[in-house]
Amino acid sequence: MAHVPIRPLGAPRESFLDEATFGRQREALGSLEATLEERRAEVQAGWGEKYVQRVHAKGKLTARERLARLIDPGTEPREIGTFVNYGEQFGKLRSPAAGVVTAFARIAGRWCMVIANDNTVASGAWWPRTPEKIQRAQEMARRLRLPTIYLVDCSGLFLPEQRRSFGGARGAGHIFKMNALLSAEGVPQIAGVFGDCIAGGGYMPIISDRVYMTEQAYMVIAGAALIKGAKSQKMTSLGIGGPEVHVHRSGCADVRVPDDETLLACIRREVERLPSSAAPFYRGDAGSIAPLQPPRELSGILPKDHREAYDAEQVLARLVDQSLFWEVLPDVGREMITGVGRVGGLWAGFVINRQGLVDDPEHLGKKKPAGSLYRGGIAKLAAFSRACNDDGLPILWLQDISGFDIGAEAEAQGLLAYGSSLIYTNSTNTTPMFTVLLRKASGAGYYAMAGLPYDPILQLSTVLSRQSVMEGRTLAIATYNTKLDDDFAILTDDPAERAEIEEGMKATEARIEADMDPWVAAQRLDTDEIVRFGELRSWLELCVEASYQAIGHRRVKNPRIWSLHDLDVLVEGVR
Amino acid sequence: MPKLFHRLFVANRGEVAARIARTCERLGVTPVFGVSEADRDAPYAAGQEVVVLGPGRSDQSYLDPVRLVQAATQAGCTALHPGWGFLAENPLFATLAETHGVTFLGPPAHVMHLMGKKTPAKRAMGAAGLRLIEGSAGILSGPDEAREVADRVGYPVLLKAESGGGGRGMRIARSADEVEGAYAEARAESMAAFADDRLYLERLVTGGRHVEIQLLADRYGNVVHLGERDCTVQRNHQKLIEESPAPGLDPAERSATLEAAVRATRAIGYVGAGTMEFLLDRDGRLRFMEMNTRLQVEHCVTEERARVRTPEGLVPLDLVEQQILVGAGHRLAFTQDDVVLEGHAIEARVNAEDPSDGFKPAPGRIARWEVPAGEGIRVDTHVADGYRVPPFYDSLLAKVIAHGATRDEAAERLAVALEGLVCEGLPTTAPMHVAILRDAAFRANAYDTSFIPGWPAKEEG
Repeated sequence: MAHVPIRPLGAPRESFLDEATFGRQREALGSLEATLEERRAEVQAGWGEKYVQRVHAKGKLTARERLARLIDPGTEPREIGTFVNYGEQFGKLRSPAAGVVTAFARIAGRWCMVIANDNTVASGAWWPRTPEKIQRAQEMARRLRLPTIYLVDCSGLFLPEQRRSFGGARGAGHIFKMNALLSAEGVPQIAGVFGDCIAGGGYMPIISDRVYMTEQAYMVIAGAALIKGAKSQKMTSLGIGGPEVHVHRSGCADVRVPDDETLLACIRREVERLPSSAAPFYRGDAGSIAPLQPPRELSGILPKDHREAYDAEQVLARLVDQSLFWEVLPDVGREMITGVGRVGGLWAGFVINRQGLVDDPEHLGKKKPAGSLYRGGIAKLAAFSRACNDDGLPILWLQDISGFDIGAEAEAQGLLAYGSSLIYTNSTNTTPMFTVLLRKASGAGYYAMAGLPYDPILQLSTVLSRQSVMEGRTLAIATYNTKLDDDFAILTDDPAERAEIEEGMKATEARIEADMDPWVAAQRLDTDEIVRFGELRSWLELCVEASYQAIGHRRVKNPRIWSLHDLDVLVEGVR
Repeated sequence: MPKLFHRLFVANRGEVAARIARTCERLGVTPVFGVSEADRDAPYAAGQEVVVLGPGRSDQSYLDPVRLVQAATQAGCTALHPGWGFLAENPLFATLAETHGVTFLGPPAHVMHLMGKKTPAKRAMGAAGLRLIEGSAGILSGPDEAREVADRVGYPVLLKAESGGGGRGMRIARSADEVEGAYAEARAESMAAFADDRLYLERLVTGGRHVEIQLLADRYGNVVHLGERDCTVQRNHQKLIEESPAPGLDPAERSATLEAAVRATRAIGYVGAGTMEFLLDRDGRLRFMEMNTRLQVEHCVTEERARVRTPEGLVPLDLVEQQILVGAGHRLAFTQDDVVLEGHAIEARVNAEDPSDGFKPAPGRIARWEVPAGEGIRVDTHVADGYRVPPFYDSLLAKVIAHGATRDEAAERLAVALEGLVCEGLPTTAPMHVAILRDAAFRANAYDTSFIPGWPAKEEG
């Protein structure tokens, strides 16, 4: 069948979740998501009003004002890495968003990656992790072939912390290597220089295909202050590296513009000159249609407690267009759901973990907990992942996984090898993959389902995400193993020793629990962004549409020739 | 004859099912009826291919998209006509049919979806150049914005739920003081009923007349209008009498709006037959209300007036035929200039309801059924002697359409025809229609949607 046999999925919320439970869950999530919104606002305020005014006094716009003027009216930029360095002190200073805004932004109908130094935070200096954050955005742009736009206003490396962002494999200079790779792979780069652009920062615009400078912009290998020290010469940075030098004399930039507004208008014009998005072509006669079951209900469907189950089908139903879905390989590995649905009118593959108990086909009549990786499910994931890769379908991995099955049976079945096959598949896939950590992202399950170490283009967390090798309680038991009986009760009768062990176990558990916090992950770039459940659908729309935007760089098969159909016939039989 | 579908699934019942089948038979397309158990013995299905969908209750038959699509594929149909009502404007049904190998005779699902959403539809139509009822540009941010907009457009105003329907989530504010309360009430009701608290605002237009435009588009951007219809005679938003042309409509307003409607239809990528509904306000302006993305009950009014100029002379136009042609990928075979609209047509919907007893539905058996005939009279019906009106569905028995050179001639022909209608065993609305058609206010065109001219009939004596 050349058609994609999508069918209605899910049901109205009141048919599976009573008002009271829904309300309670929504409230629990609501308070966490309110914190998320507060922190977003806090980060977006940069160093605060005083610094905004300082920027305005120079006749310039702030980074986020530039971004807002650059994008298509009525659209919202989608920032990533908002919480990098969140809560971290550098001496007396903080670096909201690591001093750089990186965002997917819609410009002239195309998704672009915008990288804008935050001139309200230490004049756009690079902090520890700022280079990594910029490189991460560049990598997303490279993988999706999105036009990349640099809004440069950067005073250079934050020197007191230079050790942390200079010498490593992902040190600041790797940004320019990424510039070069983007260029080498044919990804258009456009740079607008609005102010300082000193030292290393000077190289970033140069590799871009088009470079604009305002009258306040200068690009120098070394600023006036440094030259004064080294060469005892008096000069201004604007004098030696301003637009008159670089646009007219050196040719290091292309166009001289009077002010920020003009520059932003020019960048929009540049993007308009690029090929338009191929997404409408790939949609064909289909269009984006919202899920029949409302996505905003997601904010009350998942219980906060990661041990409580929910119906994964109801989650999927609130993410795919019209709540229509084709479940592929429905009868094997029931602990997983794999299948295809449209997102924004474009086809995408979905993987999600079922929760609660499922039938155990290897022990008839028995149940086993889902949310875990067993032989059937692992094989199913690998086959599905390969088929999507073969067909050029973007894969959306929705994780709530506690890990691999363990024990004698698991080892005897060779789960190590099945798991490795899945890891090999995901590691060598070239189709765009995106990962969402709905709740648990535990152990090798996080890896096997395309967690961040497996290079998904983007990994999103929710306020409930928990990344860990093992749960705190489990580690506490493992640590004090020799002092516990078979029911994990403390063996000794000595009160002092008992207290010490209890204390130690509690401390171990608390420490792991704290480390699993999504804010910790986001601060350290262990995840790309934390999003609200109600926003998830719109993020997936972005991921899928961006995957189909650029033409000619990856395989995109039409549904007639999907290998998924072959898989379906092989497993389901000829009907 | 152009190449069409061999087998077409009729995913509806009653009058529209019979109507679709009539055209199919003329075109050599085999109709297959999806019927509920209650309609298994319906006269229109006698001797025809039928697939029983399920029990009489429509949620287990005519409202179940999965059953319908399954039945259509199993019956080997390559196209499906949704009729009107039931799932005719359901984008999920359209997608499901298309993704299972049955061509849906209607617009693309996403266009249907867009037109089914209130503020996005209004925005799209406004952008395409149609005049709207004044109100908020989209969803309101809160009661403050509501008051601002209300002050600008003038009171009274209507606060409406974005997900609303059936009058729920709707409140009137007659002055600035009432806005906050109305906003809160509408919001709470909408949240409770639709889990969606988004509201928008429109100026409340009382009275006014209901005018709509029939449109037809192929897959290649060719769009024509087939004139307008007036459906002002209504009871609780149920149309009773429809006619064309709309009496009293300013010719300049008419032609400008017809042209704008054609442009808007093209702009949204519409395909097939569709209708844009307008409110004709007291200033004689047409304001867009909504688009019906399907064939309408009253399409016959247009068919009775429309002729297409061909080398062989003027030929009648069949909207169901056009839907099938467009669905099979054909281009419209004529342009706007080829469309000729002649005379005046009026339609009366005859329901099995007792108009003198609060329009109470009257299901049951019709012992004898005789339809009138005469010059300029057309009767569309699925009823025959001995027909039993099932209790599950609407009670439409027939549509009687009269055509005449003038409005008065058409009205009189229709009244005479309705007097000749025989329906033994059940009350019908025919006597009410006769009263309306003979009423002086109706003839003088002095009425609006707020009352029915000539009904209830004044006591004699």
